[in-house]
Amino acid sequence: MPNGEAMKNKLPELRAERDMTQGDLADALNVSRQTVNALETGRYDPSLPLAFAIARLFKCKIEDVFNDRK
Amino acid sequence: MQAATAPVKFAGRLYVLECAIVMGLYVAAVWARPWLVAHAATPELGTAAKVLPALPIWLMLVSVWRYCNRIDEFERHKFLVTLAISFGIGSCAIVTYAFLMDAGLPPLAITWAWPTLAVSWALTTAIMQIADHAKR
Repeated sequence: MPNGEAMKNKLPELRAERDMTQGDLADALNVSRQTVNALETGRYDPSLPLAFAIARLFKCKIEDVFNDRK
Repeated sequence: MQAATAPVKFAGRLYVLECAIVMGLYVAAVWARPWLVAHAATPELGTAAKVLPALPIWLMLVSVWRYCNRIDEFERHKFLVTLAISFGIGSCAIVTYAFLMDAGLPPLAITWAWPTLAVSWALTTAIMQIADHAKR
């Protein structure tokens, strides 16, 4: 983000809808649970390939998961 | 750098195992070096014995590279930032001590450079993890 703030995202909600734990999501994306936690808490913005992988997993568009507006 | 294809959950354990082996080889090489140098049959073998502890350092580089290719992008980012900061601090510490030796402090062998960088790396990793944990 140009202003240094992380994007907002709906990962916790999307994960909860599917009854997935952070570990389940980490396994599905082949990332660590710490990475899922960092994404959900806004400490890390994913690369485009990872963002696409997340969107594909939840069968939605990237902008349905990530939002750069406050 | 390619994305990790193997399960990232095993990357840490494999890295620790590889590092332990490499550090063991380094300690063994440093420990055996004086004896090998003293008992070298030819000057060439003496030179080879003197440079022996450098080989595990290169193996450590291979281990770090392999780890970077196993972990995911967030872990890789954290790892490389920590590596850059710690080696910057460690390098400054080594250069500072080099000047302090001119000021009268006891001279240290260059073999202390790697443990200095390793300690700096470990401390920086611990500090970064505490800082990251505090943000959660």
